[in-house]
Amino acid sequence: MSAQKTQRSQDRPVEAALRVSGRVVEQLPNALYRVELTSGGRPQITAHASGESGLLRLRPGDTVEVELSSYDPGRGRIVGRG
Amino acid sequence: MISKSWGELQKMHRACRIVVQTLESLARAAVPGVATRELDRIAREQIVKAGAKPAFLGYRGYPATLCISVNEEVVHGIPGDRRLKDGDVVGLDLGCVVDGFYGDAARTVGVGRVSDAARRLMKITEDSLRAGIDRCRPGNRVGDIGHAVQAVAEAGGFSVVREFVGHGIGTSLHEDPQVPNYGPPGRRERLVPGMCLAIEPMVNAGGPEVRVLDDGWTAVTTDGSLSAHFELSVAIMAEGPWILSEPYPYAAKEAQA
Repeated sequence: MSAQKTQRSQDRPVEAALRVSGRVVEQLPNALYRVELTSGGRPQITAHASGESGLLRLRPGDTVEVELSSYDPGRGRIVGRG
Repeated sequence: MISKSWGELQKMHRACRIVVQTLESLARAAVPGVATRELDRIAREQIVKAGAKPAFLGYRGYPATLCISVNEEVVHGIPGDRRLKDGDVVGLDLGCVVDGFYGDAARTVGVGRVSDAARRLMKITEDSLRAGIDRCRPGNRVGDIGHAVQAVAEAGGFSVVREFVGHGIGTSLHEDPQVPNYGPPGRRERLVPGMCLAIEPMVNAGGPEVRVLDDGWTAVTTDGSLSAHFELSVAIMAEGPWILSEPYPYAAKEAQA
């Protein structure tokens, strides 16, 4: 008798993160930025740059795309320029 | 997944032999006009007579000894009043318990005269099972088995069912690991001597999609195409695969741990 296939954690796709746009307000230590969100979520979060070369030296005022963390709604990751 | 000792493998060998011998009787009894319930009765009687216990009866509430899956039924068909017809393609899936150890096997047979297309589906499915068994060597991984099965089935122009998988087997009917019949090689658990796996490709003539009927068991192909199913329980030995329903194929070993 065949077994019903169940998903193992390593087979499961990583949940699609919520993507929103925002604007950099302030540069923080440790490559963190404070980002003001223009669409959805908390008004302000702290976010890491994702490491893409175009995301070095973000300055206050730059518009960016942010993926919100599913673990901590106050944090996110900058994945592109807006 | 638990490696079995030589003594435990002997018990699994006995259980698997009873299952395959009973399947042989059922294959001969699957003639036009016979009710599927009758085949279930034959299965139960032969298993009990051999000193074993049906493995499926009562498993998660399953109501019979045998799974009998006709034509577009993929697996887990429940025996009943349906009578087999000339040209039917019938999957017979059976398990038994000997001294606490399980054997599980399945084969698909044609009733009367079946079409060339159906015969080819059955042959390719059995070939895919053999290809999977050939990967059952220490150091290989579970993903190598499924990859080999999928390669044969798809090269034949058929598709492999994803929702149901093979499984480890031993003191329970279903043990870890899961053994999918598809996927990339080199992934999943590493095979070690003493592991026992039930490998069971379910191959559809049409698309791979299946759905389960309202009885909660019977899986059918969504597109209504024919489906075939072959299964054998295999032990991973240092020398290679041991199909547990067959005699030990390697040089005799006496007191192996």
